[in-house]
Amino acid sequence: MLALDLLIQGLVQGAIYALVAVGLTLVYGLLRILHVAHAALFTLGGYLGVLVTNATGSFALALAVAMGVAGVAGIAVYRLAYRPLLGRSPLIALIASIGLFIASEEAFRIIFGAHGLSYVTPPLQAQIEIAPGISLSLARIAVVVLAVVLLSALGWLSLSTRTGVAWRASVSDPPIAQAFGIDIERVRHLNFFVGSALAGAAGVMVALLNNLVEPTMGAVPSYKALAIIVLGGLGNVRGTLVAALALGVVESFGTIYAGHLLDRDAIAFAFLILVLMLRPQGLLARS
Amino acid sequence: MAYEIIVATNVAIAILFALSLNVITGFCGQVSLGHAAFLGIGAYTSAMLTKAGMPLVLSLVPAAVLAGAVGMVVGLASLRVRHDFLAITTMGVAFLFVGIVRKQDALGGEIGIAGIPAPAFGRPGLLVLSVVCVVAFAALAVAIRRSWAGFAFESIADDEDTARLLGIDVPRFKLFAFVVGTAGAGVAGGLYAHQVRFIGPDSFGFVESVTVLAMVIVGGIGSVWGVVVAAALLSMLPQWFQLVDDYKLLLYGALLFATMRFAPDGLAGIATRALRRVRGAA
Amino acid sequence: MSALLSVRDVTVRFGGITAIDGARLEVEPGRLLGFIGPNGAGKTTMMRVITGVVRPSAGQVLFRGSDITRWSTVARIRHGLALAQQIVRPLRALTLLDNVALAVGHRRLTSPVAAMLRHDRRRERERAHTLLERVGLAEVAGQRPEALPLGYLKRLEVARALALEPALLLLDEPLAGLNQREARAMADLIAELPGPSLAVVLIEHNLGEVLRVCPTLYVQDGGRALAFGPTSEVMARADVRAAYLGVGR
Repeated sequence: MLALDLLIQGLVQGAIYALVAVGLTLVYGLLRILHVAHAALFTLGGYLGVLVTNATGSFALALAVAMGVAGVAGIAVYRLAYRPLLGRSPLIALIASIGLFIASEEAFRIIFGAHGLSYVTPPLQAQIEIAPGISLSLARIAVVVLAVVLLSALGWLSLSTRTGVAWRASVSDPPIAQAFGIDIERVRHLNFFVGSALAGAAGVMVALLNNLVEPTMGAVPSYKALAIIVLGGLGNVRGTLVAALALGVVESFGTIYAGHLLDRDAIAFAFLILVLMLRPQGLLARS
Repeated sequence: MAYEIIVATNVAIAILFALSLNVITGFCGQVSLGHAAFLGIGAYTSAMLTKAGMPLVLSLVPAAVLAGAVGMVVGLASLRVRHDFLAITTMGVAFLFVGIVRKQDALGGEIGIAGIPAPAFGRPGLLVLSVVCVVAFAALAVAIRRSWAGFAFESIADDEDTARLLGIDVPRFKLFAFVVGTAGAGVAGGLYAHQVRFIGPDSFGFVESVTVLAMVIVGGIGSVWGVVVAAALLSMLPQWFQLVDDYKLLLYGALLFATMRFAPDGLAGIATRALRRVRGAA
Repeated sequence: MSALLSVRDVTVRFGGITAIDGARLEVEPGRLLGFIGPNGAGKTTMMRVITGVVRPSAGQVLFRGSDITRWSTVARIRHGLALAQQIVRPLRALTLLDNVALAVGHRRLTSPVAAMLRHDRRRERERAHTLLERVGLAEVAGQRPEALPLGYLKRLEVARALALEPALLLLDEPLAGLNQREARAMADLIAELPGPSLAVVLIEHNLGEVLRVCPTLYVQDGGRALAFGPTSEVMARADVRAAYLGVGR
């Protein structure tokens, strides 16, 4: 049963990784920028989730507010930070992004305190037995359900709507898309809104699982999500989803079986390096 | 006076560390987000050896050799992956280093290594040694920059496929850059260990790797003098921000962002523009 | 065995597609050979086989008496092969003069340590200047590539390839993107390149200019060598006219 338990844990973690990493890989596809500050929007989502739930008592409202505000904040990051730097070396944008991320972590600490915040009455804590001997909290199930719903919605949006077609074209080949008369600015705004909203949702869910938000909660996603999008083939959404789930599972088994040799992050990156040495373009290369 | 010596030594070590990354990222165009790992390898090597009785100056040699050897392995990996894939691979190397060190009791595990002996020649001596190392490495960097090797690096940083078509043995040059750069970081690590006299896995994390990359980029990628000035400024910032201790990192992040946003070609770019204006006015 | 380059029964397959199917090609020293074929004839693939970017599934490539089939691109270049690319890729940080001077000095760049001990660039720059004069770029030698028009950069590609002192120069569509007058001037320049120690292969779509300057032709179609010989004879053949000009299809 241990194996099944580990698998489930890995998939829950992978679902969170997927929500964070999809926005990042979309930004990479459009702008070729490693958008580290994406993790700040994850943290923002987490804080809003706790604050709004505590103020109104409604977790659903909190989730909606967190996603909406994170989305708008994502657009602001694009306009203030990245748009002026588009013609420059992507390294410049990377360092700007890291600077922004460090400053935002500090802002959360200064405004809300170093010890973070918790839910007054944490929602979705009931345990459900899903198989003999294995029970999961409602919160964990909610994480997976939410990830599936949001990512399916994203899939539907990109496959079945005109906007989605323009979006996919822009992510896979920006110059060609522009040549076909796609309004690339609009696509970028949409992209930052949706990607950041997903990160915000992930922040809410992580806050729920840990019953805690703290200023440094974005640190792990900030670099782990980079590993995931590289593993998935940079700019490849399907690859990113596969990589997110794979990494979640590898970490969950790895910490049990190799935990005496390496810590969790090192296991993840050992896996990343191994894959890249065999497949330098990631699991699924960009077409 | 003692305080000034500590600050000056910190600055010298930061400059050496930044110059070493500049060979890899600035000259050869290979982005590394994990350079702190090599600072760490040098620091651990040198600290273990001086604790066992070796003089500090001697211990810097194995520190450089070991860091350079691991750097060569990472360099070999860099031949497989490019650009952003390489940046994340090097970031992975740094996490791997920290993750391994954390779990090794022989290296002090989570706690790290304490009680690293003070250099026999005292703090002023350590400052002199650090400055000598910086000057030597800066001279090496300038010599590389001006030579045919620097010429080849410029072409590789610009467009490695074209460099290959011009008959340049790109893999050998990349390996050379990695070995020189990581060995330099190893020396910086040895000095650092004896400056702080306590090291742990957290001394060589992602933030340290990012900070040194920021020094290279703020300095103006590739420019030796720009990187020296940027490393000096950025390593002194925390000291200047002592007064506003609680806002130290906030200011640091904001400054990093603002520099990139408003002066994206770094200090070297600002200096060039200012110089042009002065000449134009004259 | 007097051929400088011989491609023997080379086959290239990508997945299920056969891009080149048993093609043969020989280049004699000092010749200017026009390499033509309709779109999809496998010209680019053939060229990549010669430069070493694509490994053939079968067959051999011999160059200056060595079997280079498994050699890396750099090894081939050091053995006397040079390529001017269709899509120009100047080194943007360097002046035109230094773009060429770097190629002139490429033999000094085998070992990084040895390269580190050499500082003087004067002799290489002098030679680079001569080469830039030869392709008509002397007056812009000190400029960086950014602002220069495509015609100049195409010439830079040629000068840089010549700087490698090759025995065989491959020109990949050097006329593409040029206007009629520029194309004519470039073709005239190319016609003057071959000499006792240099053969040139011109891969080109501009049939008019190829027929004007190339004394010998190699025609490839559907991944096979269709015809090879003196230009007038080759162009007289009905199958070549059919394949290349679409006559009778």
